[in-house]
Order: sequence, then structure tokens, then C-alpha cells
Amino acid sequence: MPDSVQSNPGGNKTLTLATKPFAPDDEAALREALKRCSPSTFEAAVQFRKTGNADHMPAVVIGVIERFVEPDLRAKLKDADDDLRLIEDLGIDSLTMMEIVILVEDVLQLSINNDELRNLRTVGDVKTFIDCKIRGLPLPRPTKFLPIEHIGAVMPVQPPFLFLNEASVSSTGANGKYKITGQEFFLQGHFKDNPVMPASIMLEALGQLAVLFLLEGAPTEPGKAIGANTIFFTGCEGVRAHRMCKPGDILTLSIKPKRMKMPLATFEGAIRVGQEKAVIAEDITLTFAYVESAVAPSAINGTAQPAPEGDNSANPPLRVAINA
Amino acid sequence: MPRVFITGLGFVTSIGNDAASVSASLREMRHGFEVYPPFQKPDISCKVIGTIKGFSTDSVDPEDWTFPPGYTIKRETVRSMAPHGLFAHCAFIQAVADARLGEADISNRDTGLFAASGGSPMLTYYHHDRMLKLGPARCSPLGIVASIVGTLNFNLVAAFKIQGASCGFSSACASSAHAIAYAYDEISLGRQKRMFIAGGEDGNRDAILPFAGMRTLSLQSDPALASRPFDVARDGFVGTGGGVVAVLESESEVTRRGANPYCELLGWGQASDGYNVAISHPDGTGSRIAMENALGSSRVSAAEVDYVNAHATSTLIGDVSEARALKSVFGEMGVRPGISSTKALTGHGLSLAGVMEVGFCALMMRGGFTPGSAHITNLDPACEGLNILRSTLNEAPRVVLKNSSGFGGANVALLMRRK
Repeated sequence: MPDSVQSNPGGNKTLTLATKPFAPDDEAALREALKRCSPSTFEAAVQFRKTGNADHMPAVVIGVIERFVEPDLRAKLKDADDDLRLIEDLGIDSLTMMEIVILVEDVLQLSINNDELRNLRTVGDVKTFIDCKIRGLPLPRPTKFLPIEHIGAVMPVQPPFLFLNEASVSSTGANGKYKITGQEFFLQGHFKDNPVMPASIMLEALGQLAVLFLLEGAPTEPGKAIGANTIFFTGCEGVRAHRMCKPGDILTLSIKPKRMKMPLATFEGAIRVGQEKAVIAEDITLTFAYVESAVAPSAINGTAQPAPEGDNSANPPLRVAINA
Repeated sequence: MPRVFITGLGFVTSIGNDAASVSASLREMRHGFEVYPPFQKPDISCKVIGTIKGFSTDSVDPEDWTFPPGYTIKRETVRSMAPHGLFAHCAFIQAVADARLGEADISNRDTGLFAASGGSPMLTYYHHDRMLKLGPARCSPLGIVASIVGTLNFNLVAAFKIQGASCGFSSACASSAHAIAYAYDEISLGRQKRMFIAGGEDGNRDAILPFAGMRTLSLQSDPALASRPFDVARDGFVGTGGGVVAVLESESEVTRRGANPYCELLGWGQASDGYNVAISHPDGTGSRIAMENALGSSRVSAAEVDYVNAHATSTLIGDVSEARALKSVFGEMGVRPGISSTKALTGHGLSLAGVMEVGFCALMMRGGFTPGSAHITNLDPACEGLNILRSTLNEAPRVVLKNSSGFGGANVALLMRRK
């Protein structure tokens, strides 16, 4: 679960929503609105509306999403983790997302504006978003999609030793891609007449993605930011290479933070080529330090707040694209 | 110029939901009218419509709709449809099967779709009312594409992944005749090899009742008397809805695929009355010129035409106006083709009428019959001299003329020849 959901343990869960008492009329309207959802969705919505207890919220949101997903894809949602993607995995297009939002607004008595929707790409994003809305917390930083220019601008590592072509960073992890071009200088000698991407460089690439996460995605203390020049490699464990990677292969990299406490951050990482496992690293540990920051955290080039218009251009956001 | 053929048809109409039952209804002159429950109120004086059986589309929520078994339509497809979108979607599936088209034949740059419908007054009202009462944030994101004129082409083009030409036609009751006509041009000019033509109308209270304001609907409560084109006692049209899809293909595609066409589409003509926004010219001037243009552009003489499927909707003025036009086109040549109006059986399908009735003509040519004009007890004297068929002939027409006319005095005539 995203940090922001867990970071509110126990107390203060009953919210001070400005709800009027839940009348029988409201229940009838709720039943009508949720008539195509599972009975448990309706029950959760009733409980939420009666008590304002946000613990009922995920069941409502998942129930509403399920109702709009084609029946043959619903199984995916049953045992979904929060990384399940709305568009790619569930076939939800931007118009369906609008339908989901309208129903969620109606049932949970919220109002959501279009800008807030753009960054919701996974089931986890949606849950976190609605939870923050209900609890009145600031919205989590959205998943950011970073083109190569942006990566080059923030990273302490630079070409020809930068092994990320593109990346996306959220508060829960980072994903990236790198295409082995065959022009990498070390491939001339690794190996003779047989270019193979060194496993050590693949580990380096994962480390670079973890650096990018620390700079662009990691939660920090107010007024502080992680200094780009303070991050260094300290160690790794459980590294296994499963597949040779050669020019033409596109490496799909992902890292997730496991522990993070100044001055150490530990990540798990994986590289795939298509569906094939290439490298697994159980632990990659980096050191880092905070530097004073006059502006908001990670505002290295001014994109800390919900991303401005151009920031999502690398990937189509959830946006209603009407050819009207 | 490439020749153009009708190679596939699909029907959801008041007289049947497939080609075989429609053909049987036409041959046996069996109507599709019923007393319509929403009209059984003291302040509504018309009582009967041509009902669509086997479908339920009364709800404003497409997910409530039911349709006959055998069709599978996903939620994401049906959610943006009007009722007539569902009818035409089913007709499209039939037409594809009838023409034996594969997926690759449907979705390619040489295959297009033209459509005609009056939009969905029921959904327009529902979504607009919701917007005014609850605000735009509570409106369905698909309200517009489900309701405005054009909904039929938007939905069919997206659902069937059409990649060629697509657009909608809006000339009221001549709309889908225009759609066929311009689809013919699209193929004969070599721009497309195959065209789907779809017509649709909701045919429910909201689509039909507004015509009561014009006093143009029949007030008969007896379904067997309500629609009687050319009868002296006719008192207005009976509304209907449905969806019909026709497939037009170039000669080279017919040959390549080994298709078995119903008939050849020979050409068409059009002309406008330039007279009144809603009343047809008393002498049928526009209709006459449209027929002459169709004959001229198809290089067919009036003497070759052996059947006319009339536009005649059972209104007082319209039927006489068309009768005069027919007299002047055929009477002057001294020829008397058989004439009937199948609206006596189906009711008036408005934007759907043209393609529905072209489909009927294709069925007759293949089925070997020419249907009579039903429900005539006393022929209007204004029709004297015309060979208005009173019963079905067991013989297929060879050359068929199809008339369609719409508001604003738009007139279209299409010519077909049996294969």
C-alpha cells in the first residue's frame, strides 16, 4: 500500500465529513446508483455514508471499478495488487474513467476535478487518491513520466554512462527503459566479437533508477531535499542474472524502495526483456544525505507539485479526448 | 465507371428482424403495427406505431436494454448508443453475414460507411434535462455521442473499425436514400470499393409524437387501418423505428469475392421542390424531376421500369403529390409500372425509410415477388390511371424505381436492376 494510506494508523479515522444524516431516501438512491455493483460494494457504501469511516472506501472504489470492467477481465481485479494498471490491464479508457469518477463522486459525495484525474494510472493510484480526498490530506505526488531530457537534467550520472532512456517515478517506486544500441563503448571489448551487456552495468542501470527515485519520487522532510551529489552505492545482495542481453534488447527496469532511513535507502530491483527475466537484485543499498531546500522537496527543476501541462507528454494521461 | 451491386442486407424492422421474415411479411402483406402503450392517454390522439419486437429499449440506460439472443455486444460498445444504434448494430451484423464478409473486408481503407438517423430525441432530452437539473459534472461523458444526429455513424464506425469514408446524412425522410445515393457515387467514382449504408430511428414516443404537432400522424386506433397509402380515407402516417444496413460493392469486389448480389444499383437522381419547409409540392415537381434525373443518369427509359416502390406515407397531401409526379413520368410514356407503398405494412421509418425500402426491393428481386399496396379499400381518385398493385404478384420486378422525399422538399429517386 502507498505510504500515504498506511501513514494514518488507528486514531483519527472517523472523519469530520460534512455529511447530513443518512436517510432512507439516500439509501434508496444509493441502491439505485450501485445496482450493477456487487452487494458488498453497496454495503460498504452504506457503511461509509453512515459512519464516514474511510476504511470502507477501498471496497467501494474497487466495486465501482469492477462494475465498469468487461466481465472477462474482472478476475484480474479480484486478486489485484495496487500496481494493476487501469488502461493496459483492465481496458479502461478515458471515457470509462469518467464514468467511474461520476459514480464514485455520487456514492462517496466527493467532487473530483479533471486535472486530478490525469495522474491516476493504477488501482493503487485511485485508492490513494480517494483516501486522501476523504481524509482531507494533500494529494500524493502523481506518477511522473520523465523523458530523457529531464533525466539528464537531474541525474548526477551523465552519458556515456547513463543507462536510462525514459522513466516513470511515483511515490512507491520507479520504472525505466533502456535500449542496448550496440554503440556502448564497453561492448567493443565485452566480449571479443560477441557484444553482451555486462551484468555489472545492468546492476548500475538499476542503481541509476534508484538514484532517480531518490531525487524525484522519495518522500522527504519539509524544507529538505536529497542532494544529487550525496548519493553513492554501498552494497548489493541477492543478485542473479538469468538471461544474456545483447544489442537490440530493450531492458525494462523497475525498482521499489524496501527501507529508507537516513543515510541508507534499500531497494529491490528487476530487469526484464519483454516477458523474460534478465536480472534480479534482492537488495541494492545507496547512501544519501539531505540538503537544505528553499522550495518544496524535489523541486530540482520545478515539477514538485502536480505536474504542469507538458510534464505528461511522454505518455498519454487519462484524459477525455473527444473529437468533437 | 465501376458498376455497383447490393450484396448484403440486415433488418430490424416492425415487420421482421431478419431477411427471411421481412421477405415473408412483404409477400403476405402482413403489417407490423400494434397499439402502443405510451400513447394510450386521453391527450394523445394517435394510438398505433410500427413496433420493434424482441428488443426492449425503453430505458435511458443502455445497460438495461435487452435484445434477441445471438447478438453479443459489449458494455463499452452499447453505452454510447441510442436505441436505433442497437437496432442498426444488429442489422450490421446480419448484413456482414449475409454478404459473407470477413473482418479484413470490413476494416480497410477501401470500405466506408454512410448513415442516416434523426438522432435520439429521448436521450437528448434525458441528458439535457440532467445537465440543467444536476449540473454538467453529473452528466454522462457519452451523452452527446449517444444522442445527437450522427450518433449512428459515430457508433457503427467505431464498433466495426471502419477505416474508409464515413459521414451522416440529414434530409429527414430522404436521408438514408441520400446515403445510398452518395455511397453509390463513392464506389462509381472509384473512391471506395465497398460501402455500408445504415439507417436507423428510435421509433418511440419521443421520436414519433412530435409529428402530432403537425397533425400528420394517423389517428386510427385499428392497427389494420392506420396506414393506408393511396386510400381515399387515409389520415396520416404511422411512425416506426428500427435499423437496416445494406452493403454496396463494386463489380470487381463482387467478382473477387464471388459474391452473390441481390441486384445492381443503376444510378440515382435528386431534385428539390423549392416550395415549402414541410409540405410537398402539390404537383410533385421535385419528385418528378428526381425520377427523370435518375432515369437519365442510369440510361434507363421509363418504359423499362416495371415496379415503383413509392415514398407514399399515407398523408393526404404527400400521396397525391407523388401520384401526380408518377403520372407525369410514366403516363406521358404510356407505361404503367406496378406501384406499391410498403409503408402500409411497416409504417414510416423517417430517416430509416430509404434504405429499409431499398432493402425490401432487393428482397423482392431475389424472392420472386412484387408486394401489393396494403390496406386500400377505396383508391383515391387522384391515383386513377396508375397501376397501384392491390395484391402481391408472384413475379420479381426486373427494373425497380425507389422514391424518397423529405422535409424541405428534398426528393431522391434510385434505380435498381435484378441480377
